[in-house]
Amino acid sequence: MASVNLSLARALLRLFAVQGSYNYERLLGVGVGVAEEPLLRDLADGKYGPAVARGAHFFNAHPYLIGLAVGAAARAEHEGASPDQIERLRETLCGPLGSVGDRLVWAGWLPFLSALAMVTVALGGGWIAVAAFLVVYNIGHVALRWWALKAGWTHGTRVSIALHHPVLQKATTVLGSAMALAVGFALPITAQYLAGAFDSWTRLALAAVAVVAFLMLRLRGDRLNGLRLALGFGAVALIAGWIWP
Amino acid sequence: MTLADLLPLLVWGTLVGVDLVSLPQMMIARPIVAGTVAGAILGDIPTGLQLGVVFELLQYDILPVGAVRYPEYGPATIAAVATAHASIGVLGLGLGVLVGLVTALVGGVTINVLRRVNSRIVHNAAAALESGDPRALLRVHAGGLLRDAVRAATVTSFGLLLAWLARPLLGVVLTEQGASLLAVATIGAAIAAGAAGTLRLVGRGPNLIWFAAGLGGGLLMVAWLR
Repeated sequence: MASVNLSLARALLRLFAVQGSYNYERLLGVGVGVAEEPLLRDLADGKYGPAVARGAHFFNAHPYLIGLAVGAAARAEHEGASPDQIERLRETLCGPLGSVGDRLVWAGWLPFLSALAMVTVALGGGWIAVAAFLVVYNIGHVALRWWALKAGWTHGTRVSIALHHPVLQKATTVLGSAMALAVGFALPITAQYLAGAFDSWTRLALAAVAVVAFLMLRLRGDRLNGLRLALGFGAVALIAGWIWP
Repeated sequence: MTLADLLPLLVWGTLVGVDLVSLPQMMIARPIVAGTVAGAILGDIPTGLQLGVVFELLQYDILPVGAVRYPEYGPATIAAVATAHASIGVLGLGLGVLVGLVTALVGGVTINVLRRVNSRIVHNAAAALESGDPRALLRVHAGGLLRDAVRAATVTSFGLLLAWLARPLLGVVLTEQGASLLAVATIGAAIAAGAAGTLRLVGRGPNLIWFAAGLGGGLLMVAWLR
């Protein structure tokens, strides 16, 4: 039992670097193989090498939930599942782990807390707001990674039970709504905070630029993004500012 | 920005750059965090917070799903704060955002280049990986991490070089109005990117009502604070 926990802890530590060798050929595959390896060490000699090789095959998912696949695949190797079954398990998990993780974290937990941090900064919360953001975010982050790995290891090939856990489903829905509410609330307060650097006439110009830029992004979102637009606006302003007497 | 500030900023930028994708994704790469710590290093937390918020809004334009390409705003925010700290008021703000935007663009390009390099290395190591040798696996992976650290340090160095050059090259040719114009243009675009990116994330489903409710509450709060 103690050795299993030690192997899980090693795998968890390696999961924090799962995207370290991100590439277009196997995406996260190599990182997944590295994370899975400690859980495969007690396999019989003839099984260890092929299992390590399988672990490093193509894989893509949300990095925080990838532990589900690592744990499940390692457990399946221990339970003597065939190579075909394990490859199919990995293939089956790619889509759902990516989709759930993206909605839960990238489109939920992260922007929700980031919006709260921006509001607090705008209202004078200072660096403490930023520190609180980091601490609260990472409590959720680490808990999710650990839960995913444990759940994968517990359920093995029946890992879809964990993926359909009601708490996970509910959290995805609730965080989506909370994110929308928080970011909606943060936008005007943040804009007001940034406008504080300007005098009243310049604030009007800032509002006008923001509206025009927003319309451009909405109408030509297929070609424009925030960076290109801001760079374009900046270049035009730089030239205009240069020739302005 | 003094030479004594340069090394801590470079180290911080490297950590931030590595955190974005490779290790450990604890969100020190978020502009609001990267900017605040850069401000603290320079003894100017308010500027760090301000530019952190600007680039945090731009970050909302990105949803890092799959193998999508995106700009890198972490080291960019550090370069922006270093630029803004060297100039006064609105001039610093405008130049800072501009330097940050260019750094973010370059950072995004380097991420793509790194992934291509990693692809080639993984491709060449295919036989060793298929043999199930754990040492080969670790070597390939550790190499990727190391290359990302070098990449992050290079992007941060580039951003800090721009920050160092911005004031003597651009600060002297911009009038006060010109500086205001630059700040208005770039910050206005950042606010718009934040709003448009969030709307894309929210979609047309039930969350749109929550977004509208939040927006209404935020506007009321702004009116109340005035």
